[in-house]
Amino acid sequence: MKKRYLYLLLLPGLLFLTVFMIIPIFLTIGTTFINDHGFSIQGYLDFFKDRYFVEILLTTLRVSLFTTILCILLGFPAAYYISKLKQRKKAIMLLLTIFPLLTSPVVRSFSWMVIIGKNGVVNKVLLSIGLIEKPLDILYTPTAIIIGLVHLFLPLIIVTLVGVMENIETDLLKAAESLGASRLAVFSKVVIPLSVPGLVIGSILVFVGSFTAYTTPALLGGKQRVISTFLYQNAITLNEWQVASIVATIMIAVTVLIISIMNGLAKKLNPKG
Amino acid sequence: MALFTLQDISVAYNKQNILKDFNLEIEKGKLVSLLGPSGCGKTTTLRLIAGFLKANEGKFLFKDKDYTKVPVNKRNFGFVFQNYALFPHLSIFDNIAFGLRLRKNSKAEIEKKVMNVLEIVNLKGFEKRYPQELSGGQKQRVAIARALVIEPDILLFDEPLSNLDANLRVNMRVEIRRIQQELGITTVYVSHDQEECFSISDQVAIMNKGVIEQLSDPATIYKYPETKFVADFIGFKNFIDFDERTDTGGKIELSKSGYSFVLDKDARMFNHAGKIGAIRPDDLLIREKGDAGAVQENSLSGRVKVSTYLGRSYQYVVETPIGDFIVNKEMTESYRMGQEIILEIPRNQMVLVD
Ligand SMILES: Nc1ncnc2c1ncn2[C@@H]1O[C@H](COP(=O)(O)OP(=O)(O)OP(=O)(O)O)[C@@H](O)[C@H]1O
Ligand SMILES: [Mg+2]
Repeated sequence: MKKRYLYLLLLPGLLFLTVFMIIPIFLTIGTTFINDHGFSIQGYLDFFKDRYFVEILLTTLRVSLFTTILCILLGFPAAYYISKLKQRKKAIMLLLTIFPLLTSPVVRSFSWMVIIGKNGVVNKVLLSIGLIEKPLDILYTPTAIIIGLVHLFLPLIIVTLVGVMENIETDLLKAAESLGASRLAVFSKVVIPLSVPGLVIGSILVFVGSFTAYTTPALLGGKQRVISTFLYQNAITLNEWQVASIVATIMIAVTVLIISIMNGLAKKLNPKG
Repeated sequence: MALFTLQDISVAYNKQNILKDFNLEIEKGKLVSLLGPSGCGKTTTLRLIAGFLKANEGKFLFKDKDYTKVPVNKRNFGFVFQNYALFPHLSIFDNIAFGLRLRKNSKAEIEKKVMNVLEIVNLKGFEKRYPQELSGGQKQRVAIARALVIEPDILLFDEPLSNLDANLRVNMRVEIRRIQQELGITTVYVSHDQEECFSISDQVAIMNKGVIEQLSDPATIYKYPETKFVADFIGFKNFIDFDERTDTGGKIELSKSGYSFVLDKDARMFNHAGKIGAIRPDDLLIREKGDAGAVQENSLSGRVKVSTYLGRSYQYVVETPIGDFIVNKEMTESYRMGQEIILEIPRNQMVLVD
């Protein structure tokens, strides 16, 4: 087959995406700027005046931010450890890392309910050793959502980071050592800066994933709405399609904004990486 | 007095000995190179000195102190890697300042030292660039500067020039030698380029399978290899395994399959009991059979088996009753294949090795 006809292979996928994703997205965005009198941004203005909605947006951003930070803090050392292992052990550890991804988020959320619920394992243990007097309210709070999301996204950031860390030349670490760097200094002055690309990609994945996650917040958040459950409520329960579309557009906008901020940050941290 | 000493060192990977009862002593201010075929343990030796590798047995003494267990970052030895190993996220200035910052030098001091070393390696004006923006030769000079600036007690080079093109290699090795001598830094230099090692070293150690076969100054190694391996490695391509050796007054008499030879007894060879004769292709003489006044001493009749044109000379493989010899001869016209010739071993060109 001639090379220039190869692009034909792209067509089926492209067609599918155009019909079922790109066109609907633009239609959705389009409808949010139209009211009875033609073009208008009134819908958005109303929205940002509404305390209830702004509160949900802020909570979602906060939850996503905490999830991302926790994933980085927990994932970074683990990823470094895995990246240093020999080939066979590394493969096993990576398999174990992504193992949780093989179960559905619904199942995992239910198991968290059992663990952190009012009569859950955590509360029972804490009560029995006398650390607390009445059960902690963890389930159905933003904390519960964060716990569930960290569980969900930790494997993702670890796998991304391992990929980047594996490619750090060991000679660089040796060079730093021979120049007088302790293990800690090697880690902070060489490993961390050179992991920035992986950190950025991993953080984007986690943040955007947390920001748009539905199942986990729906099950672990209880009455605590996040933006995706709010959208679902408007579209399906209340049949407010205009509102739902505006929420969806805001979600897209925030996502794009976050990605570009992170990219800018990465460029600053690692000007020539 | 030796600055540092490797004492009866053994190193094994997967239970296989790479270095065995390895000994090496290096004096302060000297440049010693390790030369040998691929896999003989040069890098291993260097990593051991640097501290990247632990010996299974033996000791590493530095200034008479036991340094065997001192970790890499406490040794103050500079290491220059084959692929430079510059930090890609740091500018040239920051790369060089890396070691100084760890040593808590003041800002002004760092500035002064970095600028000074950049001048030594001829890279003034490059401090704001990043490693990706430099050529191979420039990167290597940054790597050297980075190792030099911490004023290391020992400088270690692992094939620092092997990624550079031939011209640059020659320039850089002159630079390395100049800097090393100017600053008087004790240096261990690994390469498998013979010319490179010979041209810059005070001493060359020829290594074979984890053992130093000979450690001498370059001229001595070049003229007086002590073992067959060393002789072969530095270009003595012809070997005769003599049956008998008799030392008399000023001569050594040798025989092989009934043919006898005489060598002038060179003071250097007194200590050697070796019976293997080694001679370079350039040092053998050949001439046409039937030449008038031919000297019969040390001569054999032979036949040209292969003739190869090398540009400046011809190389022949000559078949004789005691084996084949490789001979180089500068001449305009070659001997024909199959031609009968006379091969002569000059009295003062053959060395005897173990
Ligand atoms: N990490 C390792 N694990 C197992 N064997 C190794 C390891 N590193 C080196 N070796 C073996 O040790 C021997 C010596 O290796 P070394 O790197 O010291 O050789 P070298 O003289 O530097 O060779 P070259 O000129 O090719 O760089 C080789 O046979 C090599 O296969
Ligand atoms: Mg090597």
